[in-house]
Order: sequence, then C-alpha cells, then structure tokens
Amino acid sequence: MRDHILFYLNGKPQRVVGRAAFQTLSRFLRYGQRATGTKIVCEEGDCGACTVLVGRVENGSLKYRPINSCIQFLFQLDLTHVVTVEGLAPYGSLNAVQEAMVRCHGAQCGYCTPGFIVAMTAMFEETAKPCEADVRRAVTGNLCRCTGYEPIVKAGVETDTAKMQRIEELYPSATMLRKFAGISGEAVRIDNFFKPSDMASAIAFKAEHPKCVIVQGATDFGVWCTKRNFVPEAVLSLSGIEGLGDITLDDGTLAVGGRASLAQFESFVRDLVPQLAPVMDRFGSPQIKNAGTLAGNIANASPIADSLPFLYVTGAQLELTGKSGMRTVAIDAFYKGYKTLDLQPDEIITRILIPLPKSGDTLRLYKVSKRSHLDISSFTAAMLLRRDDSRIGNIRIAYGGVGPVVLRLPKTEAFLSGKPFALDVLHEAGTIARDEITPLSDVRGSRDFRLQLAENVLKKFYYDVSEANA
Amino acid sequence: MTVVGKNIEHDSARGHVSGESLYIDDFAPLAGELVVDFYASPYAHARIKSINLGPARDIDGVIGLYTYGDLHHNLFGPILKDEVLLAEDVATFIGQPIVVIAAETPEAARYAKMAIRVELEELKPILTIEEAIAAESFIGERRVIRRGEAERAMGEAEHVLEGVFVNAGQDHFYLESQAAIAIPGEFGAVTVHSSTQNPTEVQEVIAHLLGLTMSQVVVLTKRMGGAFGGKECQATHPAAMAALVAQKTRRAARIVYDKDLDMHATGKRHPFRNRYKIGFNSSGEITAAIFDLYSDGGAYADLSPAVMGRAMTHVDNAYWLPHVDIRGTICRTNMPPNTAFRGFGGPQGAATIECAIEEIAVKLGKDPLDVRRVNCYGVDSRNVTPYGEIVRNNTLPRLFDELSERCDYRARMADVLRFNQESKTHLRGLSLTAVKFGISFNTKFLNQANALVNVYLDGSVQVSTGATEMGQGVNTKIRQLVAEELGVQVERVLVMITSTEKNNNTSATAASSAADLNGSAAVDACRRIRARLAEVASREISLIERDLEPSPESLHFQDGWVWDERTPSTRLPFEHVVAVAYRLRVSLGERGFYATPRIDWSWTSGRGNPFLYYTMGCAASEVLIDRFTGELKVLRSDVLMDIGKPLNPGIDRGQLTGAFIQGMGWLTTEELRYDEKGRLLSHSPTTYKIPNVNDLPEIFNVDWIDNENPVNLRGSKAVGEPPLLMAISVWTAVKQALGGGALAVPASCEEILMRMTAATRPEVLAR
Repeated sequence: MRDHILFYLNGKPQRVVGRAAFQTLSRFLRYGQRATGTKIVCEEGDCGACTVLVGRVENGSLKYRPINSCIQFLFQLDLTHVVTVEGLAPYGSLNAVQEAMVRCHGAQCGYCTPGFIVAMTAMFEETAKPCEADVRRAVTGNLCRCTGYEPIVKAGVETDTAKMQRIEELYPSATMLRKFAGISGEAVRIDNFFKPSDMASAIAFKAEHPKCVIVQGATDFGVWCTKRNFVPEAVLSLSGIEGLGDITLDDGTLAVGGRASLAQFESFVRDLVPQLAPVMDRFGSPQIKNAGTLAGNIANASPIADSLPFLYVTGAQLELTGKSGMRTVAIDAFYKGYKTLDLQPDEIITRILIPLPKSGDTLRLYKVSKRSHLDISSFTAAMLLRRDDSRIGNIRIAYGGVGPVVLRLPKTEAFLSGKPFALDVLHEAGTIARDEITPLSDVRGSRDFRLQLAENVLKKFYYDVSEANA
Repeated sequence: MTVVGKNIEHDSARGHVSGESLYIDDFAPLAGELVVDFYASPYAHARIKSINLGPARDIDGVIGLYTYGDLHHNLFGPILKDEVLLAEDVATFIGQPIVVIAAETPEAARYAKMAIRVELEELKPILTIEEAIAAESFIGERRVIRRGEAERAMGEAEHVLEGVFVNAGQDHFYLESQAAIAIPGEFGAVTVHSSTQNPTEVQEVIAHLLGLTMSQVVVLTKRMGGAFGGKECQATHPAAMAALVAQKTRRAARIVYDKDLDMHATGKRHPFRNRYKIGFNSSGEITAAIFDLYSDGGAYADLSPAVMGRAMTHVDNAYWLPHVDIRGTICRTNMPPNTAFRGFGGPQGAATIECAIEEIAVKLGKDPLDVRRVNCYGVDSRNVTPYGEIVRNNTLPRLFDELSERCDYRARMADVLRFNQESKTHLRGLSLTAVKFGISFNTKFLNQANALVNVYLDGSVQVSTGATEMGQGVNTKIRQLVAEELGVQVERVLVMITSTEKNNNTSATAASSAADLNGSAAVDACRRIRARLAEVASREISLIERDLEPSPESLHFQDGWVWDERTPSTRLPFEHVVAVAYRLRVSLGERGFYATPRIDWSWTSGRGNPFLYYTMGCAASEVLIDRFTGELKVLRSDVLMDIGKPLNPGIDRGQLTGAFIQGMGWLTTEELRYDEKGRLLSHSPTTYKIPNVNDLPEIFNVDWIDNENPVNLRGSKAVGEPPLLMAISVWTAVKQALGGGALAVPASCEEILMRMTAATRPEVLAR
C-alpha cells in the first residue's frame, strides 16, 4: 500500500503525501508551484480559466484530456502527467496555437487566455485539421468576456497545423509509463483517502465508512468543497479497479461501467443512439465530460441531471455491488425522494444497464436551458414512442426539472396510449402533463415557465416526429 | 513605413498566451503579507445594533479587525460624497462591508468571518425602481433636456403611442475579480497595486479615508483581467480596505474577491424603467417625443448622475426629434451602488427609442427600417440633437443605406415574413438598428490627460500615461503612436505600468476615450522631444553634408533613422542622434498634455456640446425562435460602423466583436435573479450566463466604412463602447418576430416563451 501519490507536472515528478493531496490542483499550481498561468475565476468548473491537460495511461500510452483544475484534487492525479500552459512551450518559443492567438488578437485582457490555449492544444491531440465546429466544441467550456470569441475561433482554424507538436513529442512518455507501470497495481491510502486496487477492498472501505464519498471526476464534489467548505468523512476512488471504466454493448443492452466518463459514454453512443448526441453535446463542457462519470450523474440525484430522462424512458437498470453481492434496481425506483437513494452504505454502482431503443421506436430528448451550451437545464424531457400503425402503441415520457426527482408521467402516458398520433391529441396530452407536475420557481426558471414547457414540449415532439417522417 | 493604422499584435499578447502576464493574484507574496477579507451585510437594509469582535480576535492568525471608527474619514464618492466604505449605524445593501478582517491565512480570515457577531435589525428595503418611486427615494435632482414644445406637438400629432421600456442590470463578469495589494512605506506612505481603471481615484480616496496626502499614496496598475466599467469606481473599495490594513499593521496586505463575493457585493449596469410617449405622422416621422427615464442607482450615487446624463443624451440615438422632453430621475434603492458599464447609460437610452420605433412600425404596418430611415439625422438639416449639439460628419444615412444593401435586408425581410406565415414550429425576426455614440466624458474637466515619454541612451523609449490596460489595447495604440512620432521601430517603445507617481491627476480609462486623450498627450510629448532631436540631428547632418544649412524642419524620423529630405542618403541612426543630444545636454524626456477642445455642457440649461464627435454604426440581426420553448438563436448579424481611421484595425475589430457579443448577453441570456429580500441568486457562472462560443451568430460580418475623423488623433474614432449598442438589433429582432408588444431586457427564453404565451393564450397564464 502506497502512502503517497505520484504524478508528473510538465515532465517533472511530483510525490505528494499527507493532507497536501487534498488541495485542488489549481491552488497547488498557483500557490504551491507559483505557476500562475493557470487562473482561478469561478472555482466551480464553469469558466475554463483553470484548464490544464491531464494525461492518463490508456492502451499503453498517455492520452491527454483537458479538465478544470479548480475542482480536481491532487489525490485524483495519481499516475498522471499534468501539463499546464507553462508546459506547452518548454523550449521558449510559442506553440502554433499560441502563435495563432497572438496573430488573430485572440487575447484581450488575457485572463481566460491560458485556459483557451490549453483547451485548443487538447483539440490538436484529437484532430489534426480542426474545422470551425471542432474549435467551438473544443472551447465550449471556456468563457471569454472580451473578444466575442470570433478571433479565438479564427485562431483555432488558422493555427499552423504543420507546426503543431503533440504532447508526446514535447514530453516523451517512456520514463513516465515505466514508472507508472511499476506501481499501478498498488492501492493508495492517504489519511482518509483510499484508492483500492480491487472491488472487495472498495466495498469493505465503504461499509466501514458509511458517509464516505466516492470521488471519481469530482465535478460536483469539487464544488461542495470549494463553495460550501464540505469536508468528507472519507474519500473512495475507483480509479485503481480494473474493468469499471469499460463500456460494452451486448444484445441491445449498453453496459456502462461505474467509473466510465461522460466523454467515453458520449463517444460510444454517438452513432449508436443519434438522438442522444445533441444532448451529450450540450451536457457539459469537454472539461466536465472528461472528468465526470455517468454513474456520478446518476448518484448525484439531481432532478435536472441531463442523463436521467433518457435513462428513465429506456428503462435503465443500475447494477449495485455490495457486501452481500450484486443486485439490480430500476432507475426510477432508485430515487426515493429528493436526493434520497435506494443504495446501501456498502453498495457501489458498478454498471448502468441501458436497453437501447429498438428499431421502429422513436426517441426524442429535450433540454431547455438559459444558454444553449454549458448550462444546467431548466427543464428536460424524454419521449420513447412505439407506434401501433398510425396510433400510439406505447409511450414513455419522463420530465426533469419539474419535481424533486425526474418523473415519468403515467396519466399522460395512459391518455396517449392507443390514441392517434395527431396534433390535437398531443395538445391535450400537454394539458394533462401540466396537471401532473408541481414544479418550483428557482434561479433557472419560474414555475409558470416550467409548466408551459411541460405542456408545449409534447407539441414540439409531435412536429419533430411528423416532420422527420414527412 | 508607418506604424499607426497597422494591425500589429497586442503588446501583452505573448505574455497572455504563455501565461506569463501577471495580475494582482499572481504576484508572489511579500514576507509577512496579510490576507484581507471583510464581513458584509447579509441584509439589503438593516440597523447595526452591536458589533462583537471578541471571539474573532481570539482566532489564531487573526491580526486585525477594523470598523468605520478606524478610518480617518469614512465618507467619499466620485460625484456626490454620499458613500461610506464601512457601514456605520445602518447597512444599506447586501455585501456592504462592515468589518475589515486582516489575517495570516485565508482559513483564519474565513473563521474570523464566521466568528464576528453583528447584531442586525432588518429594516424594510427598497429593491426596485417602482418601490423607490412609491417611496420617493431618489438620488440628486431630476434633470431635464428640452427642445421645442413637446406637449403642444404631441397634442397636434396624427398618432400618439405610449409605452415602457424596461431593462434589467448586467454583471460585468470581468474574469479577474476585484483585487489589490497595499504595501506600507515610510512616514505613513502606502503603495497600492490595484486592478483599477482609475488609479487617481483610488489614490485620492485612500488618501482621504486614511488621512494621508495624495502625495503619500502611489497607485499602480499593470493590467486588469477585464473591467468594462466595473473597476472605474468599485475597485476603490478593496484597495482602500487593503490600504487600511497596511496602515494599521505595517505589513503588506492583499485582497482578492472570489467570483461569488464580487457578484454579490459590486454594482452592475443600471436597470432602467423608461416611459415614452411618441407623436408621429402616417409616414412614421416623429413629431413629438417625451421620455421619462428612471434608473436604479442603488444605495449610493457612485456614477449614477453621469450615467443618467449619458442615457438622456443618447435617447435620441440616431433620430431627429423636433419637439422633445427628456426627464431623468435616479432612484435610491438598497442594491449595491450601480456603476459604469460599457455604454454607460447609452444603451438604455438608445434601446428605448429603438423599442418605440418598433411599436410605431407595428402601428403603421410599416417596415421598421423605413421608420428609422425617415427619422434618421440629416447631413445638412435635421441634424441638431435635443441638447443643441450639431451632428457633424454624419455618416448615419450612408451607414443605413450601405448596410441594408450589403445584408440584403429587403429580400430577407420578405423571407422572414413568409417564414412566419408558414412555420408551425419557429418564428424568425429581422431588425436593422443604428447607433450614434457621443465621445468625450460628459463632465468637461475629465477630458484631459498627461503623458511621460523617456528616451534612453540606447535609443529605447518608455512611455507612461494615465491610461490603464484592461485588454482593450490602449497601450498598443499608444506604443504605435510613440513609435511613429519618434520614427523608431515599435519594439523599441515600451508602455510602462500605469502609476500615479508618473502621471498625476489622471482621468479614468473610460468613456471609450483613453486612446484619444492619452494618445494625444503622448504625441504631444513626442513632438517636443523630436523637435529637440531635430535640432541636434540637423547640425550633425550639416557636419557631414558641409554645404547644407541645418534645417530641422526638413528632417525625417522613420524606422530608426533620421535624415534630411534634401540629402536622403545621409542617414543617422536614431540612437546616434540620442547619444549626441545627451552629450549636448539636451533633455531626452518630456511630459505631454492634452485637453479636448471645443466641448461644453450645462445641466442648468440642458444644453451644450458635450461631445467632440460621434462614433456611428448600423447593425442588422436575424433571429430564430422556437415557438414551444422560447429558445433563441441568432442566425446572422451584420455590423457596419464608422470608426474613423483605426489606429490598429486588428484591435478595433476585437472591440467590435467583443462589445457586440457582450451587448447580446445583456439583451438575451444574462439574467440577474434576486430573492424577495434582494439577495442575488445568480452569483456565479453556473447560474449567470454570459455568452458562450456557441452563442455567436451563425454568420457574423463585422466591417467599417472608410471615413476620416477630422477632429481626432490621426483621423481615428473611439471604439470601446459604441459597438455594444449594435446588439440592440438582436433584441429588436426578437420584438419584431413576436409582432411587437412588451418585451423586457433580457429577452431570455423564459421571457420570450411567456410573452408568446401571454399574447396567444392569456387564459393559460391566468390559471
């Protein structure tokens, strides 16, 4: 058992022991290392000014992804290589993205700039010749208040790709990989942080510490800590457990491992469930999707979690593993009330089992938010329609943001069952849906707004489906 | 080769992209440096009954706790002296500092904040303009601008319509929150690094509050991580708190707001509630207009009177109003003091008349562009503003015609109308609006600047002015001007940190005019240095060209060389001339000065010539609205402006795109939500939504016409604020899509959906 974590920072090894492992990466960089190019603005993963690259071992090499360092803790970084803006041009001259940003006036005040530079450098790890849409996608998680983004997008497109070096070229990974391989099988225990290397130890630790928090991406946990001064009783990481990060498809059922990231999920389902793509695109920033997990989105139990309406209508099951073995629970039975789960203290979500829509099924997903991208939903909806000739055979409807948990709408579903798929029918269903929910007013929208969306979205669904068929 | 007018890179760009550029929070801590924080009022309005600092004092690492009694003076304010740094008997807004905390660590400061016991008795707050009007709670006097006989003309008008334009505030959301470091010096002096647009005001207020002379306070500003007006006055408070700690403890002290605190405690763009009554004839010509503007000034005056002044002088926007009454009233509420924000009341004024014009068009069944065009200020007649200033060098008619042509407005409007007839799922809107933005501070005496230029023995140059760099590129423009005036390569010129030690009694970097004022002062300094160098060089050249009479007027300074046009092949390196001048004991430093000519203003008469010139423009935006969700997409925006001859087209273009998107945020997604007690609910980017890269118009064309501005520096025009008003076209496009009717700012998807529902099915909302 190791009593420290090991990671590399811009090519140099960092060994962290004790409570130091519990600080955020951004604070460690700025106030510990005085690497102040990484900025802290919101400290909640919503502006991207703190973006850094984290390289993790995947299939024998280091795969670099951008994350928000303000809500990433050092204990999450065991066996990684962190590259900051200072590390992008180790030999003095700027990299090609930096040169393009200078040329295109992509920086004005400069405070958001390092975050954009890192996010765009990450893009070139994936895409050799990015188009405008690629650039927009890559910097969705970065806010700029000065430029209006236009010069930044231009810089991304006009970067001299021939001069763009990959991180592997700047920092050959052989030494790091060798070092990691030697210790990757070891469990890590630092204070109340535990990273086991097998499932049994994880369950035992969880049983021992009933209030322990499983921290994988820390995309919400991080905000509890930075904004609410949350101090966890214990922290459990699943990063050391083989297989939990896998996503597989077996006989029409998707099985998503308990620590599979949202980014992994997004790329796996892109072609499989095309209707999910726009929602996954707007789900969060690349930085958040690279860190956060589908299981985390579920366990966090927010009534506006973007994955949930989809999981409700497809009839997803959660595989829970505990001391007494494995059991499955239907997603809608998992939530017993606002943030109350059918989950025993020793249990861990090990897989999410999603029966994919069958051919002939019509799936539609909706997300309404104040801003189209990088925003938490005001209202979400999913419909899964199975037709019986021109009639509605069976329909499942789930709404989010209209109650303490995501809701199925049994009365509306019952009303629609067997009816013709027609505008006046969906219109009437809307008024039933409206009466079936009791949303609250909050910062993301008023009660009346949500009621109106609940009513209208069924008509929108009608037009979406009929136009697609027309 | 000339340097001015070229697209050269921002002088900090390389530092920005490499992360090397330093901001306040990036400075390495000094030995013994303290963390400064403050205990703030949790209530919008409360009587302070007692303050118990005992338990907080006992916390390990807490070095000092200070209340208003620890200040030499507590009262200050940029226009009216009505503001206190630390609340005394009554707290008047949420986030108002009551106790300043000095601690050795952030944790100790946090524990201290929790341990401070302030007994507060909640009082009834005034949270809105309506409540303030009902309670007759105002700041200063109602002001009036009047021309002709508006009431009589209204009575004779063919048509009359009335309406209300309402806008909410906007948070600046500069990425770098408020921050300052204060370092104690000898004999009570203090040096302050402040993220401020106005080092002189920080200096003046600190001196006043701490009982020092201004000469004992030095304020420095390297750069800001964005400001947008939010650091014109409100950077003073954190700087003063840090300076207080430095004075009391004799230790360096740093304060850095986090984003949530910054959003809770600082003022915003002013909410306005503007009533308008317009008389017009059947061709849409406005014959009479009466505007009653009300702004929410917040708890203290701050810059509200000046903001109201700009709103009142911009409510005409691009349109001739023969008979007009404009009244402006500032409400005193229990919100943080609202303050400068790019546009400075101009957007709220201009949006009011653009809103009214949409309504006129609906009423007459005309295309709004025709109504705008028929009312547009003329070139030779119908060209006098309500306050008596002539709109000179008026390019508005040209901009209207050129842009509507370029963006194919007529054909697209026909498409939009057809689309709206046919589509069951979406609505489209198209609108073309204008801006005429007055350049100069409305307050005459602020229109001055000084600059210090030092030439060193090796021919390198430093220039210092009162301008502060917040990303807008003022330093780059000054660098270009100095390089060109002295005829040296731009790399030889460094623009130095802004410091009250080098440039005294400076005005805020504001009103879009920092380059105009400070650039002109720098040019003044350079010309005098150059004249002296020309004397020296002409004598040097005549030593080589023996038969040439020395003639300083014949000299050229360019690209690091100096030569006489009569013998262009004999070239002296600039640094050689400098070295000779030094040996001849000729001064190689100069202080330049500039005061804007020909401006005047009187509030007594509501008349004058407050602006040296106007920056103008037109913009056309097309939007797509989802009929079921109210979701908005900007499909296309075309911006065409008259910004004179840009000093740096790359930098000016960035001002156009940036200001437009920032304005679009104010008008669409940026929603400040408060609870019933006035507490801000949307106080971080999770809930407060500034535009994201995906909100850019799908097609975004930005351009300017070729037009030299005869009255300003190198034919240029100020460009910082005017393009923000171009985004009003997005909002009027939404209004046009909805067929007119009330629409608030911001037109969020909720606002849009609820307006559509109210218009088509009012019974639903009544349930």
